[in-house]
Amino acid sequence: MASIARCLRVARPTALPAVVRNSISRGVAARAFSVTASNALRKYTKEHEWIDLSADKKTGVLGISEYAAKQLGDIVYVELPEEGKEVQAGDAIGAVESVKSAADINAPVSCKITQVNLVLEEKPGTINQVAEDDSHGGGWIAKVQLTEEGLKEFDESLMDVATYEEFTALEGEH
Amino acid sequence: MAGDSAESAQTRRYTQNLSRRFQIYRSTSTDPYLNLSIEHHLLQRSHPDSTILFLYTNRPSVVIGRNQNPWLEVNLHALRRGLPQSLSSGREKDSDHGAAGLASSFPVPISLVRRRSGGGTVFHDTGNTNYSVICPPAAFDRDKHAEMVARALLERCGVRGTVRVNERHDIVIDVENEDSDDKVVSAKKVGSSTFKVSGSAYKLTRTRSLHHGTCLLQSENLARVSPLLRSPAEGFIKARGVESVRSPIRNVGVGEEEFVEAVMAEFRKMYGDGAGKSVVVGEDEALANDEVIKGLRELTSPDWIFGQTPQFTFSTHPTEDDPRERPELKQTLPRGFQTHLTIRHGEIQSANVAGLEYPNFIDENSQDAILSKALTHQRLHHIVDWRRTLEDASQIPVEVDQVGKFLNHMFGIQTLTSKGGETVAQTIEKTISDTAVGVFLKRNAINS
Repeated sequence: MASIARCLRVARPTALPAVVRNSISRGVAARAFSVTASNALRKYTKEHEWIDLSADKKTGVLGISEYAAKQLGDIVYVELPEEGKEVQAGDAIGAVESVKSAADINAPVSCKITQVNLVLEEKPGTINQVAEDDSHGGGWIAKVQLTEEGLKEFDESLMDVATYEEFTALEGEH
Repeated sequence: MAGDSAESAQTRRYTQNLSRRFQIYRSTSTDPYLNLSIEHHLLQRSHPDSTILFLYTNRPSVVIGRNQNPWLEVNLHALRRGLPQSLSSGREKDSDHGAAGLASSFPVPISLVRRRSGGGTVFHDTGNTNYSVICPPAAFDRDKHAEMVARALLERCGVRGTVRVNERHDIVIDVENEDSDDKVVSAKKVGSSTFKVSGSAYKLTRTRSLHHGTCLLQSENLARVSPLLRSPAEGFIKARGVESVRSPIRNVGVGEEEFVEAVMAEFRKMYGDGAGKSVVVGEDEALANDEVIKGLRELTSPDWIFGQTPQFTFSTHPTEDDPRERPELKQTLPRGFQTHLTIRHGEIQSANVAGLEYPNFIDENSQDAILSKALTHQRLHHIVDWRRTLEDASQIPVEVDQVGKFLNHMFGIQTLTSKGGETVAQTIEKTISDTAVGVFLKRNAINS
């Protein structure tokens, strides 16, 4: 998801700073407990993927951020990751297509793909609507099992929500 | 950059220059798979901060987008027939196919390519030249480099008409309607018409963004493009993924060298003379690179060309999921014949064939069910002849002639007198195997 930051600059509403927009949309999309509960353990990559870590720190759910989804524009196809595949942080695990662009989805941490969100193949626009929803019907892309290394990467190299919001606000100012 | 002028274009090896800030490359190969693999190598291995221009021209090819369906986008029969030999010689670089003299009456093969970027299907030939700009994600903009090429056409090549980048990020030309010979038509259509001359597509990775586009310069095949991109199965297929948008096309009427020079000049104007002369990439040099070869093997494999196809359904009659009215079926097909197939990544997931005729048998429905079940897990691009596939799937004698011919036609297989011929994967392999790249891949098959 690295490269989408500027793709749709023109289409972006510039009146609101990114931080404000993000918090509004998150508020609207919020679903009672799941979002609140998982926020504490949600982190982001510079390439705009998010990952939720389970309480036992063994499994996770990942997707692309609302910010990225907005930048990409109308998503018309999602190439899902391969179930059972073991990947390193940064590996391309799938792709989304929007506006003639095939954009890689990268693994935020080292992990094994255990389940993919098949709904997205039929309804790729779900990502545009609820990109960061990890519940049934949400825009999550895959469920994963973290490796030991992956957990370390989660703790050390990813951004928490506040840092990511700052990061996207800065990126939007360019 | 210092020292640029001292280096000659030919002596710099392109793999050694990937760290320079601005770079220009030009391929001398007309192989579409090789050119896309060189491009992919540049995307993956160039310095993250560098900006690269790459120019190449392909032999006749139909190039589908990453998430498209060849059975829906392409008329595989027309593709197999190829193009008539060009009368005016033009660029004689596609000597890969057919020697001069006697062979010149043979048609020119058309390659089928699935590229790694998104977007729709385009036709390439030696009258079309492609540009590609690879840059850091932070500098990415869908229109920036299409506008660079539009400026090259307008300001440096003196193309007449309004050259502009439209809302689909394609380059189009608005042309004032000339007085037509047909007075009735010209009276009705006053004003201007818009033609597409260049199509854009993008590939975005973690560290780099790629924008590539076609540019129709002087193709002799424009009239042949539309039938080539019209599948007989269009009315029966509903596909996930990306559908092409049809546009009227036109040549800009600029020579290849002139175009290449003009685009390079615009690129240097944008990024400074540091971009220097272009580095020429030849076929031998490209084929000496393991990563290029790896990319080449992927792009030429049937698993990529056909197997990457997003899920689709083929149904002869309206369904809940695809309620469109269907084209009329031939009278020669058995009454009550229906077929519904769900195909995922080229493999039949579920099949429902009904209304077949079984000589000397009464309970046809149960036989249809058995036959349908036997069709699952067959791979569409490996089917040789549907008559044989249906016969093999049935436990008892079945009348397959008309239904088999119909399905062959739908899925791009040529029906021969004998039940057997070639799969569509073999059809495509044949267009590759005679070429320099095909021979290279075969010779080095053991190493992979």
